[in-house]
Amino acid sequence: MINDRKLLLAVKDLKTYFFTEDGIVKAVDGVDFEVYQGETLGIVGESACGKSVTAFSIMRLLDYPGKTVGGEVIFKGESLLKKTEDGMRRIRGKEIAMIFQEPMTALNPVLTVGFQISEALMTHFKIGKKEALKKSIELLKKVGIPIPEQRVNEYPHQLSGGMRQRAMIAMAMSCDPSLLIADEPTTALDVTIQAQILDLMRSLLQEFNGSLIMITHDLGVIAEIADSIAVMYAGKVVEYADKKTIFHSPLHPYTFGLLTSIPRLDVEMKKLNVIPGTVPNPLHFPTGCKFNPRCRFTTNKCREEEPPLIKIEEGHLVRCWNVDKVVKEVKKGLLVGV
Amino acid sequence: MLSYIIRRFLLLPIILFGVTFLIFCVLSLLSPMERLATYVNDPNTLKNPQATERLIAKYHLDDPFPLGYIDWVKRIVRLDLGWSQTANQSVKDAISQRFPATLELVLYSIIPVILVGIWLGVISAVHHNSMLDQTIRTIAIIGWSLPTFIFGLIILFIFYGILGWFPPGRLSSWAQDIVYTGTNFHSYTRLVTIDALLNGNIPIFLDALRHLIAPIITLSYISWAFLLRITRSSMLDTLRKDYVKTARSKGVDEHTVIHLHAKRNALIPVMTVAGMMIIGMLGGVMITETVFTYPGLGFWAATAAQQLDYGSVISFALLFATILVVGNLVVDISYALIDPRVRLE
Amino acid sequence: MNRTLRKLFSNATSLIGIILLILFVVVAIFAPIIAPPLSDDPYQVPRMSWDVNPQPPGSPMSDEIRDIYDFMGKEIKYDIAICGTAEGGYDIFYGLIWGTRTAFKIGIITVLIAAFIGIFIGSISAYFGGWIDEILMRITDIFLSFPFLVAAMVLTTVLGRGLDKVMVALIVFGWMGYARVIRGNILSAKEETYVMAAKALGVNDGKIIWKHLLPNTIFPVLVQASMNIGSMVITAAALSFLGVGAPVGYADWGQMVSFARNWIIGAPGHAGQYWYTVFYPGIFIVLFVLAWNLVGDTLRDILDPRLRGEL
Repeated sequence: MINDRKLLLAVKDLKTYFFTEDGIVKAVDGVDFEVYQGETLGIVGESACGKSVTAFSIMRLLDYPGKTVGGEVIFKGESLLKKTEDGMRRIRGKEIAMIFQEPMTALNPVLTVGFQISEALMTHFKIGKKEALKKSIELLKKVGIPIPEQRVNEYPHQLSGGMRQRAMIAMAMSCDPSLLIADEPTTALDVTIQAQILDLMRSLLQEFNGSLIMITHDLGVIAEIADSIAVMYAGKVVEYADKKTIFHSPLHPYTFGLLTSIPRLDVEMKKLNVIPGTVPNPLHFPTGCKFNPRCRFTTNKCREEEPPLIKIEEGHLVRCWNVDKVVKEVKKGLLVGV
Repeated sequence: MLSYIIRRFLLLPIILFGVTFLIFCVLSLLSPMERLATYVNDPNTLKNPQATERLIAKYHLDDPFPLGYIDWVKRIVRLDLGWSQTANQSVKDAISQRFPATLELVLYSIIPVILVGIWLGVISAVHHNSMLDQTIRTIAIIGWSLPTFIFGLIILFIFYGILGWFPPGRLSSWAQDIVYTGTNFHSYTRLVTIDALLNGNIPIFLDALRHLIAPIITLSYISWAFLLRITRSSMLDTLRKDYVKTARSKGVDEHTVIHLHAKRNALIPVMTVAGMMIIGMLGGVMITETVFTYPGLGFWAATAAQQLDYGSVISFALLFATILVVGNLVVDISYALIDPRVRLE
Repeated sequence: MNRTLRKLFSNATSLIGIILLILFVVVAIFAPIIAPPLSDDPYQVPRMSWDVNPQPPGSPMSDEIRDIYDFMGKEIKYDIAICGTAEGGYDIFYGLIWGTRTAFKIGIITVLIAAFIGIFIGSISAYFGGWIDEILMRITDIFLSFPFLVAAMVLTTVLGRGLDKVMVALIVFGWMGYARVIRGNILSAKEETYVMAAKALGVNDGKIIWKHLLPNTIFPVLVQASMNIGSMVITAAALSFLGVGAPVGYADWGQMVSFARNWIIGAPGHAGQYWYTVFYPGIFIVLFVLAWNLVGDTLRDILDPRLRGEL
């Protein structure tokens, strides 16, 4: 079964740094993962761990003073980091599309919804305005917006939050991209709408076997939609595996901490499990493994040397010196029912 | 949007009331005799006590504040603005005679202000922190640091004093003869450049242009430097917005991103500050016309101020304040029409 | 605060601005030594001659004037017009040196008072809201309906010539900008939780404004104020140029330039012979304003976090 999968995107040891006046911020400092055709990769982690910057690095949409300084991004066999700006523009919107967290700010307030959806079509397929507008109406219908013929001439502020997100999805999917990157698309929405949006994205992608990178801090969303998962911490991928493995046999202490911090209804819990401490300041990272101050399995080696990403078994990468310790904890059965 | 526009219109009489009230307060600092002087054209009348007494009563100059105010406003509305000693004609005539000259100057100045200011502001923001940006910013900073009168004097010095290209005034004397006293020249608009073209008289057109260039450069410099600064800062803000990233993520080419997606949004707040720019230019008119002895309203007002011709100065202030208030109203309404968020609520 | 200072000194443009300002302050302080006054009122510019025509730099004091000073028993501490004389024999150099003091006086006093008025009105308006806000803002609008220079000109015409009247005019029509800025800032700040917390604790309104709101919202106003010092001086100079500002012979930069208008073209055949009547006063004015603008511009950039290159 694994051999049927076609590799769409491979990210290897990606490094993106921000050269600010206060110092160099290593926002992304070692990110590795693979996305296969027709599958969903979930990138999970706390705020400011570098998830969004990873997405922008792939799309090469970094703002000053950010720069990708190392690693590889191979999309359909080609290196994206080596492409010219023109070459990237041909890919953006057409092969790889992106949707953002806050649809109110991500949509241009002075342009109609219809125009914004048509724009990608007109840019990549050289079709006329009228034809593109017709297609936009169809797309709006597809994403479940009622009276699309009227909506197409309206402005973003006239739509509700959920509708705006749908419009964004319509905009992103307009050219049938092979890869959709969704940066926290449901975080700003109500829980009920969340579910609808997730379903919508899934069904649209299924239509032409597209892939999805879902970036979020919400484990529930990940559990629903992801096929494989990359867990990020302080700019690095600390664990990467398929969903089942992550949820049932995680190997990184951080992953383990994330999973056990979910409150349980079926087992009596005297107190909530938390990961002690806070996310480190990117200007003052601890030495050695970035997670070591908060890790309960930490040893001297952790404080001195940064662990590399090791392939534990096929399709399972972990960045930790003490993998065996977590295995022991898992065997204790603390993850039952997750 | 409708409620917004109605509200703005309702504010208009209130503000005009406030403006006239404020001016009248200033006017009241003068003694009745001084105020009387603004209405009589023959200074000898003032030496005649009976005539003076009669006239003071007629103009309600000794009345309590509210009555005096009402009478004064009534006169303003009837365009009874008094007598201008400086111009030796009624204030109303003085204004209507000089208005076209100032209008011509301001109209021609607005064009370079908008074109250059916005164009350079956008470029400066797009090439943030580059040498180009620094150069443009330096020119702009010098613009606000260089007072209009110094800049005007320098321009006059270089382009007339040394080079002799752009003389002061509005027309050379030979052109004046034709335009003002000749029988073949029809003044349709009283804007000399346009009239010259309408009359098919190219030499006069060129002569008028020659006289206009230096004042235009002077009047516009500070304004486009200011416009550049706010366009640049608004553009810098806008370029960091999410929707600009969205546009780029669709593969839209950079030119469209800048000029369609970003600029349109960036110019909306710039428009609201455009009102302030009008203020700057109206004030600059006085200085520019004085430096180049350009026979417009500003020159008249400045001369009147020197000679303590209160009537002319006050009427001038009233006129320009009214223009400004109406101008702001127009700007506010245009803003409501342009921004879809306001237009369609 | 440290960051601000560091930024101010590291930026080339603001450094130039600061150095210029320091130079001007030095000139202002040491004016009596650099240009010793020749009469009782140090702000009265001494005349080097009775000539109507401006005299070029380096011209000596005329004999008639010398005699007058000898007659009055006054010591002649210097007798060469270093920068030349303006129309009527007024010594440009003296006027510029003492004019520095005038400039600082005008700039700082008018800005301080106008800012104080503006902050007072703006914060009351923003804090109390409702119809107080409406009325105060309409009043602000009314004052803003007058082009600054025009309004100042009208007021000085009516009040008469004199430096103090110029300052009154500048203050009366100069407070509105500050009112608007502080009002905007307080309107956004007053919804912040720390304000509601203070209110819940029963702190009275005045204290809330003074201790909580103002310190957090006042920095942009200070930036604006520093840049306005320059523009106040320009406006005062413009008024003098137009003939309605400082009295004739007063040590004020604008006064020095006002003499220049008639002479800038020079006699036929000698274009530009009176260049010094514009050049020297012009340099002083431009550098002074430029200095404040450079410093203010950098302060504004410091305030604006987006321009610091953040993530």
